[in-house]
Amino acid sequence: MSVTFRSKLFIASALAVALAAPAAAQNIKIGFHAPLTGFAASDGKSALQGAELAVEQINAAGGVNGRKLELVVQDDQAKPEQALPLANKYIGDGLKIVVSGSYSGPTRAAAGVFHKAQIPYISAYAIHPDITRAGNYVFRTSFMGEVQGRAAAKLIGDNLKKKKVTLLTLNNDFGQALSAGFKEVAGKFGVQIVSEYTYAMGDRQFGSIVASVKKDDPEVLYVSGYFFNGGPLVAQLRAGGVSAQIVGTEGFDTHNFISIAKEAAEGVMITTSLDRDSKLPPMRKFIEEYETKFKVPADMVAASTHTAISVAAEALGKAGANDGAKIRAAIAGIKDFQVATGRISFNELGEIYKAAQIQVIKGGKFRYFATIDDPVLLAPPTK
Amino acid sequence: MFYVELLLVGLVWGCTYAMMALGLTLVYGLLRILHVAQATVFTLGAYVGLLVANHTGSLALAFVAAALAAGALGPLIYRLIYQPILDKPPFVALVASIGVLIAMEDGFRLMFGPSGLSFADNTWFTTTYSLAGMVLNLVQVWIVAAAVLLLSAFAVFAARTRAGVAWRATVSDPQMAESFGVGVIGVRYLNFLIASLLAGVAGVLVGLLNNLVEPGMGGVISYKGLAIIVLGGLGNVPGTLVASLLLGVVESYGSVFLDRVMDRDAIAFLFLIIVLMVRPQGLLGKAH
Repeated sequence: MSVTFRSKLFIASALAVALAAPAAAQNIKIGFHAPLTGFAASDGKSALQGAELAVEQINAAGGVNGRKLELVVQDDQAKPEQALPLANKYIGDGLKIVVSGSYSGPTRAAAGVFHKAQIPYISAYAIHPDITRAGNYVFRTSFMGEVQGRAAAKLIGDNLKKKKVTLLTLNNDFGQALSAGFKEVAGKFGVQIVSEYTYAMGDRQFGSIVASVKKDDPEVLYVSGYFFNGGPLVAQLRAGGVSAQIVGTEGFDTHNFISIAKEAAEGVMITTSLDRDSKLPPMRKFIEEYETKFKVPADMVAASTHTAISVAAEALGKAGANDGAKIRAAIAGIKDFQVATGRISFNELGEIYKAAQIQVIKGGKFRYFATIDDPVLLAPPTK
Repeated sequence: MFYVELLLVGLVWGCTYAMMALGLTLVYGLLRILHVAQATVFTLGAYVGLLVANHTGSLALAFVAAALAAGALGPLIYRLIYQPILDKPPFVALVASIGVLIAMEDGFRLMFGPSGLSFADNTWFTTTYSLAGMVLNLVQVWIVAAAVLLLSAFAVFAARTRAGVAWRATVSDPQMAESFGVGVIGVRYLNFLIASLLAGVAGVLVGLLNNLVEPGMGGVISYKGLAIIVLGGLGNVPGTLVASLLLGVVESYGSVFLDRVMDRDAIAFLFLIIVLMVRPQGLLGKAH
């Protein structure tokens, strides 16, 4: 019995290998790492789903020069120490392009390695400024923190015509960059900062900050952070009787933020790159197909990894899949390319320009409020 | 009024620490184990409470279910993890305990999803009382009430009941207690049961206060609980309570006035270091 079974198994596996091998050899492999476990696993899941949808859509439309795309996924746990082994594995396996669907820690650690190996590396939504400074093989498809902070200052001063602002700043690179960008241009828009409180990534209880905000009585709160601290923070502010307008960032751009803060989320505005009411075809298609496929609304993280994969595919289409230098040049040359996060162009540092979308939460959903499309104000740094 | 409000916020935080730290100090007092895995019990209580509340709409049922689940898990951890290694040096149990914490954190993530859950209808959170410009919600009121009630019940139990006397006898001299007919094993289970009930209830309350229940929510409060029992004088129950409240208040003021310099958790450990430099035996511990 066991012999027959074994030989059947052998034949079956031999057949499987024989059938699968030629098809697999033709696929173009794109490295993709994200925090699939650990504290950032929620964003990791969105990131992977956004990337998978991009690959699926591109393959359904005939792939890249007739070849299918294939993601080679690794889990980085959002830890910098995971980045090196993971990068070396991609390099050892001969991959020619890698996308980071992760936070700044691992992305920053891996960026230099990929640049040295002359492998184009696209950071989908990690925001640390040093990532693209690692070298000209490194690109980013999300806003710099500073750029988003500037957009928020314009929103508050120009669109909302408010003056007195309190900043509630997350004390990591994301929060600090947002705060710095905001302060840099606040004066220009007549915005006066009455106070600033910083909090840590692990904080979920904000009683002391709520009490302080009530004392300072600002017209607007500019809140940085992610949905898992921003959600409780916004809920606690509202429960504590604070009625000032709340302006958040793309860190809140997920349905998880609304499901945590519930009614308290109503009226909160965010600066982001995903417009739910967009008419731009790739953005529309992304939002609709994402929700159909994964049964959850699309978010910024998924849109950013979708964008990064689209950029990779566009470059592979122009430059072929064998030469890192040619792929790099093709990415750098991208201008006014329409993707899930709008019309994008890269500057000489590998940073992106795109319009900032202001979304407001109404009836438990993100809706269009305004677009800030100001190439001077939103210009990313060039060095 | 602003300063009074910060004081109240700090006392509420202190009460959550007290409910957590009392269990840690009980376990340490009896077995010399730093029971980091108490965080798992706390998180399980929070999840069970949230799921029951969201399905039945009853917070009372939620607390009962959370207490039952937590009360089962704590003694189970003792039986499966600690009991087989009781003859090993204490750090072995500590390592095992940290292992349970890490494994269960990802266990919760697999079971309940990575992004955390919130109460469908958190009426305690939205029910608020205004007093001279200060706003307190019903969760905060209940945290203080629960801490006072449960800790008083524990004090009465320890002082007035047979089981309480047996428990105290076992803590101070296990061999002597055993020769007087006290069931030491029973006392250990009782110890874990009390610690876990407190942790489970605290889990639901903190979940309500944060309006969020997530896989990693127990880690910080558990490590802080360890700092508190050192601060109070290891195994010293009154010292643990004083240290809990004091730490809550220090954090409340610190998180507003020292926020540019260090975050809330750093303030907690800085406070620990300063106190231990002045009083190495802890706040209420006796010098040897």
